[in-house]
Amino acid sequence: MIDFDLDPALELLRETARRFGAERLRPRERESEAARAVGAPNLAAAAEIGLAAAAWPESLGGAALGALGRAVVLEELAAADPGAALALDPLGPAVHALAELGGEPALRTHAGPLIGRPGARAWLAWNGDGRVTLRGGRADGRLPWVPADRLDLLVLLDRDAAAVVEADGLPLAPLRGAGLRAAGASEVVLAGAPVRAWWVHPRGARRALARARLDLAALLVGVARAAAELSRAYALQRVAFGRPIAHHQALAFLIADMASAVDGARLLVHDAALRLDAEEDADGACAAAFVEAAEQALFVTPNALQILGGHGFVQDYPIEKWMREARALSLLHGGVDAAREDAGRALVASDAPLALAGTAPR
Amino acid sequence: MNLALEDALCNRLARIRALGAARIRPVGLEADRAGAPLPPDHPFFAELVRLGLGRTRWLGGEDPDDAGPTTTEARRERSERDEETRGERGSPSFTGVVLAEELAYWDRGVAVAFPGPGLGEPPILAMGTPEQKQRFLGPFRAPDRPRWGSFAMTEPGAGSDVAAIRTACRRDGADWVLDGDKSFAANASRADWIVVFATCDPALGRAGHRAFVVERGTPGLGDFRIERKMGLEAYESTSFTLRGCRVPAANLLGGEERQSGRAGFKGAMQSFNATRPMIGAMAVGIGRAALDETLAFARSHDRLGDPRVRDRLERSRRKLQAARLLCWRAAWLADQQRPNVLEASMAKAVAPQAAFEAAALGMELLGEEGGRGDHLIEKLFRDVKAMDIVEGTGQIQRVLMARQLVGLPRD
Repeated sequence: MIDFDLDPALELLRETARRFGAERLRPRERESEAARAVGAPNLAAAAEIGLAAAAWPESLGGAALGALGRAVVLEELAAADPGAALALDPLGPAVHALAELGGEPALRTHAGPLIGRPGARAWLAWNGDGRVTLRGGRADGRLPWVPADRLDLLVLLDRDAAAVVEADGLPLAPLRGAGLRAAGASEVVLAGAPVRAWWVHPRGARRALARARLDLAALLVGVARAAAELSRAYALQRVAFGRPIAHHQALAFLIADMASAVDGARLLVHDAALRLDAEEDADGACAAAFVEAAEQALFVTPNALQILGGHGFVQDYPIEKWMREARALSLLHGGVDAAREDAGRALVASDAPLALAGTAPR
Repeated sequence: MNLALEDALCNRLARIRALGAARIRPVGLEADRAGAPLPPDHPFFAELVRLGLGRTRWLGGEDPDDAGPTTTEARRERSERDEETRGERGSPSFTGVVLAEELAYWDRGVAVAFPGPGLGEPPILAMGTPEQKQRFLGPFRAPDRPRWGSFAMTEPGAGSDVAAIRTACRRDGADWVLDGDKSFAANASRADWIVVFATCDPALGRAGHRAFVVERGTPGLGDFRIERKMGLEAYESTSFTLRGCRVPAANLLGGEERQSGRAGFKGAMQSFNATRPMIGAMAVGIGRAALDETLAFARSHDRLGDPRVRDRLERSRRKLQAARLLCWRAAWLADQQRPNVLEASMAKAVAPQAAFEAAALGMELLGEEGGRGDHLIEKLFRDVKAMDIVEGTGQIQRVLMARQLVGLPRD
């Protein structure tokens, strides 16, 4: 039966993540941004609750709640602090490449050691444009921006393959970062860094990219939701020309459209996650969810800022930060434009891309 | 969470698809070329009745699980119907939304022209007494010929603002007397009856509203005029007048006892909250038809290698899929008997825009082929605009959403 409610386990997870975000992340959002880190107590508490582990396989001590579970957690954390959402996940998107291309042995070898290591960070860098060359077991090239100040694991992903690069001793040059500073921000120069493992598996690479894009989509839905909620509340408080600004129709309609933007994007994310969890071919759906979430986040966050006017432009409210972070998130893993291209190619491979039935059963 | 369609529903969709390709789309194009609705004696309608379509979803009796029919024949009929609609009874709104999308994909105008009680059915089901359901929906249980019901709320001076209707009703002895003008009533001139909304006192606003079943041939019901429209030619959008139109008290929906408070108006609004997602789904269906045709055109003209073309098709697909899920969610909420005012309006606000964009893109890729005025996409471009108007314009939906989101005052 059709059902738009989350299963009880996921609903509980959502509530837990929401409470954690509201009580522990949001109040320290600017502090984390300035410190370029989430405080140790929050790191420990998030690990204890098992937020990042919710979607990990059981072999890593995860709860195996799937792509939908991961999307739910990421949205909730990003709705509190998108940078912290990245910082709290020791495996980050790297887990997707390890699982999809290397399977259980890769997870055991490369991901296992990070779990329980305080503040550990892993990153999945998109190398589909060949910015890093891999030759003779060595990696050379430059990653202009990685949202981390330390790396315990670095995985490079391209269209067909993934490579684990030796992270120990990698030089990370700190950057200011356009956003997501709570996760850190660095340039990484690879100068003959050893490649520790390497898998060629085009389908696995596509799925890893799809999952990484869906992570971004969920984060973008979270940040857009936060901005929509905060600006709605503000518009009810702020009075101009004798009534709350929310009651001027120009803003009332904008607030309505912002709500539609968030809900529509979230439904595409959940739909794509369900397809992934059902082992369907979901590359196009994940790419489209990322494009939609980015587009809507870049509609919602600047308009939310606009509703706050001058208060939105200054740093007393987090809106200006969220606008920067929505833009920054949608640059990762090859960016929105590449995702649009992949979704378009998936579309033109079909005669009836939106047929109601006759698609693969779920 | 589960967004997969059940097998039984997929089977019904497959049957609509077969009928759609063979008959619905061709007769829709036929009506469009003729610039007139399909006449009531069009063989297509008799064919639909033979296929068992054009029936009421009222099962007879107040409760689908009541003691029910006593004859073997009637029991068999009931059991066949139960099998067919098992899923539907658990989720009638969701099922309706999915089927509506598929019908609109083939031709939304023809879908509205289908025989059956139409939009008159929800208010009778919601407000009618058992006797009224038997009298007015009974003939639609196994009709021997195409029969239509109709629904008349809109007036020349009252569209989305339904509280502003001016058609008057006054009690006169055993009867009610109706006076006023109605417009855009689908299938009204061919209908056995029309559910007419009227007010017994405009000063009472919505509390003054009453709904009557006005039967064909009632003296004072007349001046039927079929509107010429931009699109959706296959069904008649009809204006008519009520002049001293005398209706027996037994035709007041719900009878006198249901009229305390705002029951009449609420009856109308209840049906709207279920039909808004359905209009949204119809828009998705039209938009999907435009997308498929555009894709086929672009493919046959070697345009799919152009990333600008792919990008824009991709955008349409994504917007339509998001709109579809919003419609599904709103209908599912209605089935769960949960509040869905915000979600229903959201679906209705979003879907027509996505669908219009899909059709407009199709015209652009067609280029001058679209300017000729004889391509299916050109018809879809004209058809789809109505979806942002009927059942509350996109602007009204945003007003309703803003009431929910920020308590926008009603002044």
